[in-house]
Amino acid sequence: MRLALRELVRRPGRFTTATVILTLIAVLLMFLGGLLDGLIASATGAIRAQDADVIVYSESSQAAFARSRIDPDLRDVVAGVDGVGEVGGIGFVQLGARVPDAGPRDLAGVALFGYELAPTGVPDAPAVGEVHADEVLRADGVDVGDELLLGPARSPVTVVGFVSDTSFSGQGALWAAPETWRTVLDENRPDARVADGVFQALVVRGDDGGTAPADLAAAIDAATEGATETLTVPDAVNAIPGVEEQQGTFNQIIGVTIAIALVVIALFFALITVERVRLYGVLKALGARSGTIFAGLVAQAVVVTLVASTVATGLVLALDALLPPGSLPLSVTPGRIVTSIVLLLVAAVVGCSFSLRRVLRIDPASAIGS
Amino acid sequence: MFLALREMRRAKVRFGLLIAAIALLVFLILFQQSLQNGLLTSFVGGIRNQDAPVLVYSVDGQRTVQGSAITPDLEELVRTTEGVGEVGRWSQGTFTAIVAGDEAVDVSIIGYDTAGLGTPAELVEGRLADGPGEAVASDADADDGFGVGDTVRIVPGGAEIEIVGSARDVQLNASPTLFATYDTYLDIVASVNPDAGEPPPNVLTIRPAEGVTDDEVAAAINARSLDLDALPRAEAADETPGVAQVQQSFRIIFLLYGLVIPCVTGLFFLIVTFQKAGALTLLRAIGAPARRLVSALLLQAALIVAAGFALGTLLYAPVSQQRIGGLPLRFETGAVVAWGVALAVLGIGSALLSARRVLRIDPVEATTGSER
Repeated sequence: MRLALRELVRRPGRFTTATVILTLIAVLLMFLGGLLDGLIASATGAIRAQDADVIVYSESSQAAFARSRIDPDLRDVVAGVDGVGEVGGIGFVQLGARVPDAGPRDLAGVALFGYELAPTGVPDAPAVGEVHADEVLRADGVDVGDELLLGPARSPVTVVGFVSDTSFSGQGALWAAPETWRTVLDENRPDARVADGVFQALVVRGDDGGTAPADLAAAIDAATEGATETLTVPDAVNAIPGVEEQQGTFNQIIGVTIAIALVVIALFFALITVERVRLYGVLKALGARSGTIFAGLVAQAVVVTLVASTVATGLVLALDALLPPGSLPLSVTPGRIVTSIVLLLVAAVVGCSFSLRRVLRIDPASAIGS
Repeated sequence: MFLALREMRRAKVRFGLLIAAIALLVFLILFQQSLQNGLLTSFVGGIRNQDAPVLVYSVDGQRTVQGSAITPDLEELVRTTEGVGEVGRWSQGTFTAIVAGDEAVDVSIIGYDTAGLGTPAELVEGRLADGPGEAVASDADADDGFGVGDTVRIVPGGAEIEIVGSARDVQLNASPTLFATYDTYLDIVASVNPDAGEPPPNVLTIRPAEGVTDDEVAAAINARSLDLDALPRAEAADETPGVAQVQQSFRIIFLLYGLVIPCVTGLFFLIVTFQKAGALTLLRAIGAPARRLVSALLLQAALIVAAGFALGTLLYAPVSQQRIGGLPLRFETGAVVAWGVALAVLGIGSALLSARRVLRIDPVEATTGSER
């Protein structure tokens, strides 16, 4: 093992090419993972932030706010279900926002929510005409005190504070009182208008009885006789169009990329082993065990992978810092980086183990020419 | 040459591993090329493959059809702009449709009021919708209950739409897309939401007057008001939010994969050449010209890249006929050819590093036993 590490220190050039390839693969892995995380985060933040057990949509809405309608009678039925504690209405509309001092054609895309029960990290609903803005909107020049003009009707709202990680459908969220949402919707989207008391969905918190969210969802749908589609918050996140498809596709690509890393490492260390057959023969003749020699190879693979991962982490962080805000939904998180490194390390050890058979087959007698 | 081929035959595992690595990379690149094109087509195909040369959004829509709303005064401005020939109304909404008995799916419905302005450019079957309750569907969804003759029910409200035609690559927002008359569209809006008022058109479709280009009429319309955003058809598709990000993300991914292939091939041949240095020196000492050794090396590189590429394409071919999460993929012949050329150049080019090492071999070392 010590010999293998010493070789790495004394002849680093021998491992440079493998390190460069692994660095590229590690960058790919982290970039793909970061892209997936960024896409999912910007599409689902407003739902993930809900401080609730379940979200109730109307039956034919496909769990889409814009197509869901819950009238006051249906709300009363939901509120009367055993296990239901608090019920709050929620509604949303996507619009362009005119930001002070921005160009006349430079609008910020916003998702305006009207809410009754505050999501995690969002204060209680502000006064009518005021909004809490998601901090991603800072990139569009939004600041506290700004008056934003929403939609073609130029409906005015004033920003009174910022919240974080509540984006929805890739747009920064604005959190407002239900009255504000209803007015803005009515003025700008006549086709989506809702009557007084109607919300697009209900956010439901269970009572202290400890009913499991899935059971609560089933009880609500049973009580409304199928007029609602009630989902737990994680299920509501997955029901957002594209979320599961994006996760599935990206994870497949990441899986194949790891397979490539495995093949590269297998190839590299198989060749290194072939190259050193005579040397290993001598070591075995001197008493070194196959396990020790193989452990040395694994140690080299792990070190090469760690170096490549470290460089890749730096490159991905630099890329993240250099990308202009809003250009790519890249989210580089410590969790994703650690996961990528662990996956690469596993690939390195597995790839390296293809050389084990060759190491075991080395005959110490070959060292003395027999 | 003979030696090069024999060496490959004898070291099957070694060369096989390299071919497998290249095949996997080729598969990934081509698969992602299909994924990118499929994603973009299903996302903006309904804009790219309709027949209006120019689309006019409101600035508020930020170049999304559903987000745009043309108020009556803006519509009047557009209709009176010099260079404008024909004007049509174009609106789009996302609804829930019940297909094939009881399956609920998201569906985009586009309403147009003028045939030839915002209607599908290429029908593969049937005819355009011209009456109430009729629609043309995207051909990619024909097997999912949107074939000609099928009827879908929009809920809530229960409005029924009969599919009377099928058009190529006209999906919007990655969902089944129906092109119906404007009145059918308004009827559906009213049926799903009784509280709704009459919506303004999302977009105006324009055909320039004779002698006026698409760019000229778009510029003339944009000059009339800061609230109007007129774009020629291709630009409207490319400028749809999300399209540029998708293209940019894939460009970075392709660049990285493109870099990995020459690195893997170059590394492999460098190490193989290093291992064979003794034998190569001996060959040089007994009179083998350097050019022959380099040719053998390049032949191996060419064969390996070709085999890897062929295997990768073979893996890709059946996958390219599948649908991924409702996204129809297609075998991208152009991409296969372009990547074939690029990878041949990159793969064989990377082997030139090893060729340099071969050329540096001094035959005298065979007699002196000098170290490499």
